[in-house]
Amino acid sequence: MRIFFATDIHGSEVCWRKFLNSAAFYKADLVVLGGDVTGKAMVPITEHTGYWQVTVRGETHRLETREELDAIVARIRNSGFYPAMVSPDELAELGADPAAVDRRFSTEMLSSLDRWLDMADGKLRGGEVPCILNGGNDDIFEIDDVLESSPCVSFAEGKLLDLDGFSLVSMGWTNPTPWDTYREAPEEQLAEKIESVARQVPDMGRAIFNFHAPPYGTGLDEAPALDETLRPLHGGAVMKPVGSTAVRDAILRHQPMLSVHGHIHESRGIKKMNRTLAINPGSVYGDGVLQGAVIDLDARKAKVTRYLLVNG
Amino acid sequence: MATESIGETPTLFLRKATGLVRGWNVRDSIIYAVMATNFVTLGIYEFTFAGPAFPKGQIITSIVISAILVSFLVVAYSGLIVTIPRAGGDYVWQTRILGSGLGFVMAATGWWFILWLWAPIYGNILSVQLFQPLWATFGSPGGAAWFGTKTGVFVVCLITIAIAGVIVSLGMAGYAKLQKWCFYGGLVGFAVVVILLLVNNHAAFVSSFNLEGQKLFGVHNAYAATNAAAKKAGYSTYSMGFGPLGPTLALVPAMMFFILWPNWGSTLYGEIRGASDFKRVFTGMFTGLWITVILTIIFLLLVAKTVGWDFYQNLNSLDYNLTPQFGIWPYPFLFAGWLVHNSVFQVILILVLSLWFFGWVGTLFLSSTRVIFAAAFDRVLPDRAAEVSEKRKVPLYSLILMLLPAAGLSAVYAYSTTFRTYTLDATLVIAVTYLFSAIAVVVLPWRKPDLWAASPASRFKFLGVPIVPAAGVVTIALLVFDLVEWFSNDLYFVNNKDSLIFMGAMYVLAIIVYVTARIVRQRQGIDLGMINKEIPVE
Repeated sequence: MRIFFATDIHGSEVCWRKFLNSAAFYKADLVVLGGDVTGKAMVPITEHTGYWQVTVRGETHRLETREELDAIVARIRNSGFYPAMVSPDELAELGADPAAVDRRFSTEMLSSLDRWLDMADGKLRGGEVPCILNGGNDDIFEIDDVLESSPCVSFAEGKLLDLDGFSLVSMGWTNPTPWDTYREAPEEQLAEKIESVARQVPDMGRAIFNFHAPPYGTGLDEAPALDETLRPLHGGAVMKPVGSTAVRDAILRHQPMLSVHGHIHESRGIKKMNRTLAINPGSVYGDGVLQGAVIDLDARKAKVTRYLLVNG
Repeated sequence: MATESIGETPTLFLRKATGLVRGWNVRDSIIYAVMATNFVTLGIYEFTFAGPAFPKGQIITSIVISAILVSFLVVAYSGLIVTIPRAGGDYVWQTRILGSGLGFVMAATGWWFILWLWAPIYGNILSVQLFQPLWATFGSPGGAAWFGTKTGVFVVCLITIAIAGVIVSLGMAGYAKLQKWCFYGGLVGFAVVVILLLVNNHAAFVSSFNLEGQKLFGVHNAYAATNAAAKKAGYSTYSMGFGPLGPTLALVPAMMFFILWPNWGSTLYGEIRGASDFKRVFTGMFTGLWITVILTIIFLLLVAKTVGWDFYQNLNSLDYNLTPQFGIWPYPFLFAGWLVHNSVFQVILILVLSLWFFGWVGTLFLSSTRVIFAAAFDRVLPDRAAEVSEKRKVPLYSLILMLLPAAGLSAVYAYSTTFRTYTLDATLVIAVTYLFSAIAVVVLPWRKPDLWAASPASRFKFLGVPIVPAAGVVTIALLVFDLVEWFSNDLYFVNNKDSLIFMGAMYVLAIIVYVTARIVRQRQGIDLGMINKEIPVE
């Protein structure tokens, strides 16, 4: 069985399109997206009489045709941002009311996800190519119902799924971050969440852990050290481990054959943890490149036979 | 959902999400750039060679020309950093834009193999800027001279490799703090030298030099003796000025030894990138580069005023001809310290100025570690190369891949006087790597149009021409000029047969490693050609 695993595309539409094509491209039997599907930023496009105005990466554009608008919308979406069409009054309201921004963010995230799932329906032949998604700490809980109800993807968050004899355990929750995001829990609680699913696994020798948080201190979890204002220390030259001890302990205790992670984009890498091969393919979604791991599993021997980190 | 609006009339809304970091402090970046283009460890070390090799060339003019041209390299690299901002550097840019094989060969040679040669160069600098002057000041000229012997150089090289290896093992967290203190301490030491050279006149320097030369080395009337020895050896000095242009331009490839590295440690993190990031990255490297230039010019002008330009060049020429005055490398800061006739002060000054070395040595193998790990994750090297021991958190195998060849090459460097002259090979091989990154930045808008369009770097234009690729063209011109000079002019000591074989062997080795990996992995059913193949979007 060949799995393609990618993660942390954060709203990048070009990465989503690539993900949908990845099964055919890498001849994978199954594709898994390991959380943090939604974007982090929203770009307002102000509608004026006869034109639209938008500022992208510090450059202000006056758009006078629908084609210009479509091009800039595509560019915004490909970067992982949400384009939000607003009137000048709406923009002023958003600027003054954080709650209005929250509501608009949720609306844009969910409508974008709907559009993505429509695309998936065509590409994945209505679920013929197995496609598994789970949440990540940056994903709002409202996406769960949307993904759960989709006929073309399987929402794996907090579940044990059977993959032709292999057991996939998925968990989008992470240990606490400085950003206080949605699916975060203290290490003890995270350990309990993991255990509640892991204990259902019939054979750990055939198990795959799909945990968004990487294991602590394994080199798969190195992020720039930050000061209290979230500024990288020492010019960004100093990295520190920020992964989860609960995830590390679960891997070392249960020794699944494979463990795939995301969350820390800078920490692309591979680590052998006794019997377990742990992988974080990292993410450079902002560049429009879909980093991932192509992993071959031998069903008979219950082992990983080949793996390759790719920049698709 | 906590959100943040950017701008008075909001142009961007951010929600709470992991990784939304603020830009790092530009001051930190400036410090790294100044330490990398280290005018003390590399600059004055290079002048010992450059002055005598090109006596008609004007050092200050050549430094300014070099820095102007390297400023274009800074623009080109700033463009690459904000377009593909992760910490992988040249390896990532070249593999993504030019191809996997080329990227590996250039990164392996420029950021790994050639660092084996930099190790003994670092070691020799430690020897001549710390151990030799210290022992001399302790009143042991024989001990000082020992550090210049074959065994002495080898021992100090091993010490240097050990220090760099320990820093790699401990990680950057502690070292980064130390580095900052080294920078400030080094500046204080340099300020003391400036004050000494400023408040004393030429006669005072001659008197001090003669006095301490007699006291520490038993050389009578050392100042005049130095000038006489250089004259006897046939060396002619030329006064400081602005011409002629030919020999001055010939100095430019030599100056690359210290001025080509403002981009050494530049990284960028963060996902919401804008024009300000380009400016921040550029400002850090550019300011660092020009601080180095200003410090160097201040130093050289003060040398001309107080030490005497002809005398300084004569001192260097004697070392260049392997007959150094006092039997040790002519460390100008040691001689500046002699203006105060107090051994304790002199020792402290040497120790404080050695901070320029200790704040710099940690960078020796850091880039090598990154390349080895990246190549292992790309399955080009065995997985083991990226292993870190659980207990001690030491990347044992990558350390072996760095330290053992470096130790071997240090032995060759120490015990072969001809090999030691290939110092500029160390610059040349990295310059070739830079050349391909410069090519990458020039072709970027065509090779990766979407990536380029999304990059803040594409915004910056002059007369409608995007300045980043244009700066890449100037960088290519600079590096090609350097390469032509290095390969065609015997005075750089890089174009002789053994040196060419040495450098060529590195490229052959990198190609062999890559081709072998392709074959072995193919047999294992892994196609390394897939690594950077782009998945179709539609």
